[in-house]
Amino acid sequence: MRVVVADDVMLTREGIVRLLKDAGIEVVAEAENAPGLLREVRLANPDVALVDIRMPPTHTDEGLVAAQTIREELPQVGVLVLSEYVEPTYAMRLLQEHPERVGYLLKEKVFEIATVVDALRRIVDGETVIDPTIVSRLLGRRRRVDPLAELSGREREVLELIAEGMSNRAIAGRLFVTERTVEAHVTQIFQKLRLPESPDQHRRVIAVLTFLRT
Amino acid sequence: MLIRSAVTRLAAVGAGLAAGLGTLAVAHGLERRTTYVEYSVLALTLTLAAGVALIIAGLIVSLLGPAAQLGDLALLAGLVWFASVWVGWFKGPPWVRSVGMLAAGFLFPLLIHLVLAASSGRLHGVFTRILVVSVYVETLLVAVGLAVVRDPFFDPYCWANCTDNVFLLRSMPSLARAIEAADRWFTAVAAAAVVMVCISRLVIDSGPARRAFLPFALAATLLSGAVVAHVLALRRTPLEDPSAPTFRAIFIVECMAAVVLAAGLVWATVRMRARRRAVARITASLGQVPPPGSLGAALAQAVGDPELEIAYWLADSQRYVDAKGNPVANLAKAPGRTLTGLVRDGRPIAVVFHTAAVPDLEPAIGAAVRLALENERLQAESLAQLAQLRASRIRIVETGDAERRKLERDLHDGAQQHLLALSYELRLARAQAESDGDTSSARLLTAATRGAQEALGELRSLAHGIYPAILAEAGLATAVATLAETALLPMEVLAAPDGRYAAAVESAAYLLVAEGLDDAARRHASHVTVDIVQDAGRLIITVDDDGSDSSSKFVHLADRVGALDGRLMVGPTRLRAELPCG
Repeated sequence: MRVVVADDVMLTREGIVRLLKDAGIEVVAEAENAPGLLREVRLANPDVALVDIRMPPTHTDEGLVAAQTIREELPQVGVLVLSEYVEPTYAMRLLQEHPERVGYLLKEKVFEIATVVDALRRIVDGETVIDPTIVSRLLGRRRRVDPLAELSGREREVLELIAEGMSNRAIAGRLFVTERTVEAHVTQIFQKLRLPESPDQHRRVIAVLTFLRT
Repeated sequence: MLIRSAVTRLAAVGAGLAAGLGTLAVAHGLERRTTYVEYSVLALTLTLAAGVALIIAGLIVSLLGPAAQLGDLALLAGLVWFASVWVGWFKGPPWVRSVGMLAAGFLFPLLIHLVLAASSGRLHGVFTRILVVSVYVETLLVAVGLAVVRDPFFDPYCWANCTDNVFLLRSMPSLARAIEAADRWFTAVAAAAVVMVCISRLVIDSGPARRAFLPFALAATLLSGAVVAHVLALRRTPLEDPSAPTFRAIFIVECMAAVVLAAGLVWATVRMRARRRAVARITASLGQVPPPGSLGAALAQAVGDPELEIAYWLADSQRYVDAKGNPVANLAKAPGRTLTGLVRDGRPIAVVFHTAAVPDLEPAIGAAVRLALENERLQAESLAQLAQLRASRIRIVETGDAERRKLERDLHDGAQQHLLALSYELRLARAQAESDGDTSSARLLTAATRGAQEALGELRSLAHGIYPAILAEAGLATAVATLAETALLPMEVLAAPDGRYAAAVESAAYLLVAEGLDDAARRHASHVTVDIVQDAGRLIITVDDDGSDSSSKFVHLADRVGALDGRLMVGPTRLRAELPCG
C-alpha cells in the first residue's frame, strides 16, 4: 500500500512514517502543509493520504479542506484525516461530498499503529472509517426520549459498527455471525429508528450519524 | 457704490420718490410720445408701482433684513427703474436725458443680481458670480461706448431720445449700431443663463431653500422672458414702438417681474424676522428636562428647515457629535445649505447645519438658547463618553476571548504535540522491552502509555473548556449541538439559527448555554431545553430546566451580556439573555 503523510509537526510526522514503515506500508512522500500535500498526492498518486487536520496557516481545518480537494480531484485516492476534534461536525463535513474512501480518526490514536493500519486497509477496500470514540460519544448522548432504548443489545452493537463505517461483511466478521444475520439486524434497526434503509453503505453512515446527532 | 448710512438711504428714498413723482409730471406734460407711461394708465400705474415697490422693498430690507446690502441694491434698482422715463423727457435738460440713457442699461444687471442674491444675501457658486459680474462689466462697457460714440440724431431707430447726448466725443453711427446689436444678443444669452441657474437651484436645493427661492425664480423667469422677447421683437421691428401691442406686453411683463421681485424681497425679510424671533423663543417651548435632540427639532421648526442638524463640539476629544452622542462625519457644504458656528463664553459649543434661506442665524440665537445648547452639549458629551465606555467593555471581553483562544491553540500545538511524541517514545520503548523479553518493564511502559493517553484526553477537554474551537469554526448552532452531545443530562435544542454573528455575541450566547447547563446539573435537573431565536435584531437565548431553584448570580455572564448592551434575566430555573446582533 502506498501512502502520503502530511503533518506540520516534524516529530509527529517522522514517528508516523517510521511506524507505518515498520508495519510494512510504503510511505511514498511526506508534506508539512496543505499545498505540499496536494502537490505530492498529484505526483505520487498514492492509495491513501494520511492528513493531519490542523496545518498552517490557521491551524484549524486546513487538512479537512485539502482532504475534500483530493477526493474531488482524484477519486481513486482515499483520505484518512487525523484530528484533535471529537466534534462529529468535522467528521460529517468530510463525509458530506464523498463518503467513500474517507476516514476520520482521533489524533491520539496515531501511535496505536494497528488501528491506523486497519483504517488504511478499510479505506483502500472502499469503506468509511469513523473513530469509535466519536460514535460511542454520540450513542452515549443523554436523551429525554431515547429511541435507542428500543434496540436490543446486539442491535446496538451493530448500529455502533455501522456508524463506524463498517460493511455488513466486516460487521459479521467482527461479531462472529453470518452476513445474513447482520442484514436482518440492520433491517430491524432501521425500522425501529424509522430510518429509510439505503442500499448504499456510505449513505448509510451519514444517515445514522445524522440521526444520532439530532 | 453701495449706500451705507441710514441718512443716505433716506436721501436715496427721497430721490427715488421724487423721480417717481417727476415721472408722473413728465407723463402728464408730454406732447411727444417717447415713453410707455403716456400710452396707457395701466403702463403708468405699473411703472410707478414697480419703481416704488423696489424702493420700499429696498428700505424694508436694508432696515429690517439681515443683509443690508441687498436693500441698497433694491433701492438702486428702484432709482434706475425710472431712468427710462427720464430719457423720454422731451423738453427736459439734455444732461438729464443723457444720464438717463447711461443709467437705464444698469437695470438688468441690478435686477438679476437681486434675484440671484435674494434668498441668502450673497451670490452662491462660482458660475453665478461670474455671470453677474460679467453682465455688470458688459453693461458698463456698452454704456460708456454708446455714450462716447452714439449720436442719437444719426440713429435711424431712435425713439425715446433722438436729440441729446452730452457725453458724445465722436459720432460713429455704425459702430454705435454694432455695439447695440452685440449688447442685445449678450443680454439675451445672459437672461437664458439666469433662467438656467434658477432651474438648477430649484432642482438641487433642499426643501426650505427651494421654497424661499420660488418667488425670485418667478421674477427671474418673467424678466428673462421679457428681455429675450424684446430682443426678438426688435429683430422684426427695429424701431421700438410703445404703441405696438407686442412691445407693450413685453413692457408690462417687465414691470410685473420688478413687482414680484420687490414683493419677494419683503416677504423673505418678514419671514426671516419671524423665524429669528421664533429661534429666540424656542427655549420657552422646551420642557424642564428635554430629551436629547429636542433642541434640534425645535430649532428646525423655528427655522422652518426639517433637515436642520446640530453638531456639538467636544473639546476633550476634539470632535463633533450629535445630541445622542454619536460621532458626526465632516459636515460638508451642500447646495442651499450653510454652517453657522455658535460660541458661548468664548468657547465653541456647536455648529448648526441649515438652509441658506436663513443666513445669519448666529445673532438670532440668544443667551437662553445658548444655555440650552450648552446643556444639550453636556448631555451629548456624557452620552458619547458612555458609548466609549461601552466600546471599551466590548474590547475587554473580546481581548479576553482572543487570549483564551490563543491559550487553547498553544495547548494544542505545544503541550499536545509533546504528549503525542512522548506517547510515541513510550510505545517504541515498550516494543523494545517486549522484544528483549523484559516483561516487567513492558508492563510498566504499557501503564505509562495509558497514562499519556489519559493526559491527552484531559488536555483536549481542558482546551475545549478554555475556548471551544468549534464555536469560532462552525458557529453557534453547531457548537451548541456539540454541547448537547456531551452534556451530562439530556439537553434538547428547540431552535438555533444557523447564521454567524459577531464573535463576542456568539461566545456570550455559547457561555450562557454552557453555564446554564452546568448550573442545571448542580441543581439535579433531569433535562434542559435550549431555545435560541433571532427577532428584530436581537438574539434571544433561553435555557430552561426542571431542577430546584437556582441561587447563582452569573456575575461573569452578566458582565459579558452588559458589555454587548444586552439584557440578562436570571429566574429560578430559567436563564435568558437578549443580545443585539445587528
